Amino acid sequence: MTTCQECKRFFPVEEDPAHGDCVQRVVDPRQAYYMAKSVKAEDDAGACDSFQKREQ
Amino acid sequence: MAQAAIKDTSVEAFEKKQEWWWAAEKKRSGRLDYLRKAIWKKGAIGGLYAPGVKVDLERAKLTTQKAKELEASPDPYVIKFAKMFAHVLDNKSIFITDRAQLVGYTGSLPHTMAWDPSCASILNEEAFNDPTAIPDPVEENQQVIRDINNYWIGKSDLDKMMPVFDMEDLMKMLSGSIGWGVPLARGGYSNKDYEYIMTGKRAFEDVIKELDKKIDETDIAVHQPGADASIASMYDKLNNWEAMKITLEAGIRIAKRYARLARIIAESLEDDPQRKEELLKIAETCERVPAKPPRTLQESFQYDIFIQMMSRTEAIEGAWPARPDYYHGPYYDKDVNINKTLTKEEALDLVGEFMIRAAEVCQFKPKWSREGLQGIDGTWVWTMGGVDAKGRDACNDLTIAFMQAARLVRVANPTFAFRWHPKVSDEVMREIFECIRQGLGYPAIRHDPVLIANSMHWHGHPIEEARLWVHQACLSPCPTTKKGYQPMRMANATANCAKIIEYVFTSGFDPVVNMQVGAETPDVTTLDNFEEFFAAWTEQMKTIFSILVRAVNRARMLAPTLTPRPFLSAISERSIESGLDTCEPSIARGNAWVTAFTWVENIDSLAAVKKLIYEEKKYTMGELKEALSKNWEGYEEMRLDFVRNAPKWGNDDDYVDDIMLRCLDTVAKFSKELKCPSGNNWPILPENVSGNIHYANIVGALPNGRRLGDALYDGGISPGPGLDKSGPTAVLKSCGKIDHITGGRAFLLNQRLSPTQLAGEKGYQLWRAYMRTWADLGIDHIQFNMVDDKTLRTAQKDPEKYQEVIVRVAGYSAHFVDISRKTQDNIIQRTVQGLG
Repeated sequence: MTTCQECKRFFPVEEDPAHGDCVQRVVDPRQAYYMAKSVKAEDDAGACDSFQKREQ
Repeated sequence: MAQAAIKDTSVEAFEKKQEWWWAAEKKRSGRLDYLRKAIWKKGAIGGLYAPGVKVDLERAKLTTQKAKELEASPDPYVIKFAKMFAHVLDNKSIFITDRAQLVGYTGSLPHTMAWDPSCASILNEEAFNDPTAIPDPVEENQQVIRDINNYWIGKSDLDKMMPVFDMEDLMKMLSGSIGWGVPLARGGYSNKDYEYIMTGKRAFEDVIKELDKKIDETDIAVHQPGADASIASMYDKLNNWEAMKITLEAGIRIAKRYARLARIIAESLEDDPQRKEELLKIAETCERVPAKPPRTLQESFQYDIFIQMMSRTEAIEGAWPARPDYYHGPYYDKDVNINKTLTKEEALDLVGEFMIRAAEVCQFKPKWSREGLQGIDGTWVWTMGGVDAKGRDACNDLTIAFMQAARLVRVANPTFAFRWHPKVSDEVMREIFECIRQGLGYPAIRHDPVLIANSMHWHGHPIEEARLWVHQACLSPCPTTKKGYQPMRMANATANCAKIIEYVFTSGFDPVVNMQVGAETPDVTTLDNFEEFFAAWTEQMKTIFSILVRAVNRARMLAPTLTPRPFLSAISERSIESGLDTCEPSIARGNAWVTAFTWVENIDSLAAVKKLIYEEKKYTMGELKEALSKNWEGYEEMRLDFVRNAPKWGNDDDYVDDIMLRCLDTVAKFSKELKCPSGNNWPILPENVSGNIHYANIVGALPNGRRLGDALYDGGISPGPGLDKSGPTAVLKSCGKIDHITGGRAFLLNQRLSPTQLAGEKGYQLWRAYMRTWADLGIDHIQFNMVDDKTLRTAQKDPEKYQEVIVRVAGYSAHFVDISRKTQDNIIQRTVQGLG
């Protein structure tokens, strides 16, 4: 199973690496921004459109 | 070949043409320009949200998910509620817009409108039935909404409250004919105890320490030998304190999430060194506040934004009571004047962005609310100027910075209302005038000495507290103090007053909603003289006001148990001290009021009846009743007689002005019989927002010559559009006959002035002279539109080119193109007063 922690958008919380933020760049019709969503390192990323394999 | 004229696009050229919006675009910094244009317009246009703006399903899902998880929990409701609140803050998506220095939003993404499904099923159904606001894929998300809605049926706040209301009152109120809004402690206008939480003396960690102390002491007390009623009540207090603590801890955590995101961007994603530095500053700021008190202007603004965001996560707040120059002013002074760590230009960027952060706030609202507040999400009327607790001038450099920033960012929401008093400097007055002259429609001007006395008269606020007032909604003063602040003003105590006079002719039967709503007063044709007619009017007034007030009182009594506000309580001294929910009436002084929409129609109608029916006997009451029931159709000549030949309010005519005073006096006496659960009075406050348009199809024909469907008058004591034929001073003289201290809580007065006449120094002096008359007459409020007819009519024809034209609607401003055609026409019809 592909998990969130394998994605380069995943940024683990230092004190609790099992949790982290999925940080994405978004450009909508009015503004550009970075957004973060709370995720778990082990969450299934198999169906995630934004998944990008972290380089080793 | 003729050469095309080269268009002059200089600031000076735009200003000369009074195209202030283009001039502002050129004058503001690149950052402000980007952030201003980044705003998603959230105010509804004609009751519908703008394309691209969507209901935020994330929050609704998070709340529902946690509610389901807690169903089997033994926690009392207040704790469960606090945990749902914390779950939303811990898990919602957050974002940081490019170039921003301040962060925090009620929804998950910039184009979303926060939707809290735990408030009311009637709101949830509107989310389901508004496909234009449902995010793609619509069908799939409609099913998501259906599932969420099904869960909350019978569990939402209003669903829980409805069975314990008086059903007859509730049906009359929800019919939409006499009231506006629902009685909920989590839906309306929340003031805050800013004296407790915004003065820099404490922040969330300090309050948590205080809560821990209270919990520990009480825990010991309840386990001591002995038992009595006081101990029995302590368990509820322990739960309340625990719930407050949960919300504050969640508040600190979400700030740290923002700090973390800012650091991630700075350290891993951003290349520009200047932006990296700004992001690290954001991180440092969010690590500091709201946990600890702010030290700088940026931290102070950020602290305020977090508090507003959290309070709007807890409840639907339709207003934004605030006094930003007063509470943030010391930080501006420290950073700009003393430590010089910020230049004036840098500070102006922060001030402008602070307004922009507020302008983008939106919570999904029902259609009747959107129609009543066309073009905006809520009435963010920020209070400026005024005096401090000791009566000293409170204006400062930040007051001026806000006026300057307003002219640069030109948002329609927030707007300002300025507390004028005799010690205000000419420098500040010039800044205010410049905002008005540049067509913002704000600040509205409030008479501070009159309103401080008014607060003491109506609600018994001590003078030191009365001086610390903010606008709780558009107009009503409310102190920001421990006992004086009102946690929730429920919007449904908003009376559609034109129904008072209408019901005199129908004996209380409402032909629009087809039910008996008002009092069953005698058939109007049997009323032999004006005194009997006025007695029937009084009976209808008392009946309508009572229905609305009873519902609010009931909701307020039920609020602490059925609809608690643990976060708002956690930033309220009285709740920290007592362990009671902040809506508990026994710990508040009370600051209730009945908003009187469509008020002046009563006055002009009573005058017409008195003169043409009872005195001149030109028509019989039977003829008038018949004409009104036919919506004046077939009676046009008679209708014009009632329009043209009956005295009209606003012309310094004692005949009709005395009727205004008599009506207000009658209501004022009854206002002291109506009591809120804290034991205080319910004065009236005539104003309209855009209710004059909303109610146009709900109010029937009236004796002032109005037909069903015609726009109602636009202001609380504004004369009817085009009916003030005796000049601006006559308007002021009529309004000045009212005792603005004892006659009611406040009175909205709209005036239109000519931007051409008021250009330059001469224009300023003319306005100052006019304002001196206003002040001398002791009128509590005035606000101005200063955009000429030509611009407004051109904007109607070519709205794309005039997207940024702002007008004063009633208690708020809006972009002209965002309001309905009927409201636009109504504003154009207002008399342009020539001064001098």
